[in-house]
Amino acid sequence: MEPGKLMSKLLIVDDSSIIRNHIARLMANSRLPRIDIVGLAGDGRKAVEMAKTARPDYITMDLTMPHMDGEACIGEIAQLLPDARILVVSALSDKATALRAISRGAHGFVHKPFSDETMIQSLLELMS
Amino acid sequence: MNYRALNPEDIQVFSEAISTFFERMTQRPARVRTAYMLDRPETILWNDFNGVIQVSGGFRGAISFSAPQGLLTEVLAAMGETEQSLENVLDVAGEIANILSGRARRHFGEALDIATPISCVREGAVIPNLAAGPAYAIPHTWGPYEAHLVVHLDLVQRR
Repeated sequence: MEPGKLMSKLLIVDDSSIIRNHIARLMANSRLPRIDIVGLAGDGRKAVEMAKTARPDYITMDLTMPHMDGEACIGEIAQLLPDARILVVSALSDKATALRAISRGAHGFVHKPFSDETMIQSLLELMS
Repeated sequence: MNYRALNPEDIQVFSEAISTFFERMTQRPARVRTAYMLDRPETILWNDFNGVIQVSGGFRGAISFSAPQGLLTEVLAAMGETEQSLENVLDVAGEIANILSGRARRHFGEALDIATPISCVREGAVIPNLAAGPAYAIPHTWGPYEAHLVVHLDLVQRR
């Protein structure tokens, strides 16, 4: 990282704790730039609350979640943090779902189940 | 309403979803064994942990993945997860059900109304099932373990 440059911040949103932790471990062990994981949220409502206080630069976002689903959450966060870049990570892999997510403000889409390499590459593209 | 039975391609979609999960999340592929027809009408949860999706609307039935605790614990380890709690073991079963749900939506289209995937520990329990056609069991082996995908689904008759 360049001297004096603040570390980028990532929020991981998924109702599965094993997926949240898996993405966090990939971040720590990969060739990705150093990044500060500012929160792990298990539903959309919690993600919006975390986004308000932590103001992440990047977000990985599941779609099927309790309380507030990913599509609604993307819409709220896109209004709250217009510069944040959102990567959808979902088992819903049909084209209509991907297009809806992108129209709400998402910047990329990774289908579950993802390989480590696919996730790292997608995050690199999100951050480029 | 007229319904048709599943064809081999329909079943293969779910089997491939399970195989892809193991290959990508653990880097160890599962081996798919020969499918067979179950001779009872209910969807049976026959192992320690189960991930289930139920469908309705123009379709009816359920799809479940049943696995022993040892298999799911090893999946957690292969993913680098050190916390092997009951909650995390259930989470693996739920995540597999979630992936089955996504594949079902992509294969059969948005007309498929899928309930939120559930995970449960009810070995030997039976899911109420509206499907009238046969249920298929597809065994998957992963290391020394055997898990089962059970597909019990009727599809709207295509004219």
